[in-house]
Amino acid sequence: MDSSQLLKGVLDLAVLAVLDERDGYGYDVVRRLREAGLEDVGDASVYGTLRRLFKAGALNSYVVASDEGPHRKYYGLNEVGRTLYAASAKRWTSFAATMDSLLKEGHA
Amino acid sequence: MTAPITPITPEQYAQAVRDALAGHPDRDELIEDLDDHLAEIAAESDLPLEDRLGPPAAYAEELVAAYGGRPQSRQRRRPRPGVWAARAHAELLRHKPYRSFAAFLPELRPGWWVLRGYLLAMLLLAITARGGVVPANPAEWALVAVAVWVSVWFGRARGGRLVALLATGVNVLAGLALLAGMAAASDGDDQPVMMSAPADVMLVGGGLDIYNIKPYAKDGSPLTDVYLYDQDGKPITLDPESRGYRVDRSCGEPVLNRYPLPLIQEQELMAENGMPTAPPSACPTASTAPPTPTPTPTTVTPAPKKTG
Repeated sequence: MDSSQLLKGVLDLAVLAVLDERDGYGYDVVRRLREAGLEDVGDASVYGTLRRLFKAGALNSYVVASDEGPHRKYYGLNEVGRTLYAASAKRWTSFAATMDSLLKEGHA
Repeated sequence: MTAPITPITPEQYAQAVRDALAGHPDRDELIEDLDDHLAEIAAESDLPLEDRLGPPAAYAEELVAAYGGRPQSRQRRRPRPGVWAARAHAELLRHKPYRSFAAFLPELRPGWWVLRGYLLAMLLLAITARGGVVPANPAEWALVAVAVWVSVWFGRARGGRLVALLATGVNVLAGLALLAGMAAASDGDDQPVMMSAPADVMLVGGGLDIYNIKPYAKDGSPLTDVYLYDQDGKPITLDPESRGYRVDRSCGEPVLNRYPLPLIQEQELMAENGMPTAPPSACPTASTAPPTPTPTPTTVTPAPKKTG
């Protein structure tokens, strides 16, 4: 199964999880997701997700000047984001447990 | 072996994405820091952005899919000329001659800045003072010097989108001034020489001061009633009135290409250079209708040799 299809459903949660760890700018979030094992994650998908979550009020943002390159817009979870993250994580955990159980039964 | 591909810049890539998202209700909000984001990606690796992110149009599709909003395919429309130009430029950059040319262009910038200042100064002078392509006095040269200095300073300045927009406008204005100057110079060089072909060929001007013609026969006797025509059969006439003479019309309306003309000077009848003159007041006995010229080739008959 194409993992990119799976990613579409859980990208919001993955981004929230990365930002729950610490604030990050767009490409930093992409890099950390890939380092975590989601190598197929698309830059535009992450960028679009960040912008959507920000528009939905789940993120705050601030600009950090950089001497070496362009200014970076950092994103971080606010209260809404943390609540959303907790609810999404709980839903995913339940969904993943169901899938695990289903797969174990299939192998049995 | 294929030539290396010059990568598209982050600015060009961002512009192409921006164009692909034209019509999206949240476009500006969606990509407000896309330029910085792409610059960050570009700075990390030497790989071209298109290799890492895919074509800008596909990037825009993916962006909209993650953000939400309209399906991109339904909103697709004809790209603007600027997008076409950017795409054409990106495509041409794959070819070495164009790539070399494009790489050389930045070296011409200082020269263009100087020329731009000169052109704008001359444009200002043409509007406010006088037309011309070269300064005429020290004040105008001073204006040119100031304009060149400002243009170079402006060219070296770094600014945002507003400055870029202003620079484009100034460059277009200078380009138009250049074209206008070239057209003006061309007009000055190419003044056509108008040659009219009057019904009568009038021998005037040229410093000849001819107001009458006095034909003589081979033996030196003056001829009268000689009709003159040019090679096309047009009567050859003069303009004696401009020399203070008038044609004697006491014998009726004269034929103006019949020489010598019967001229009258109001003050006195002048003897001309001591040459024998035909009596101008003698009325011709022949008909006043001019003959029709019949061009005949001039032949020379050699005199028979005398023998003996």
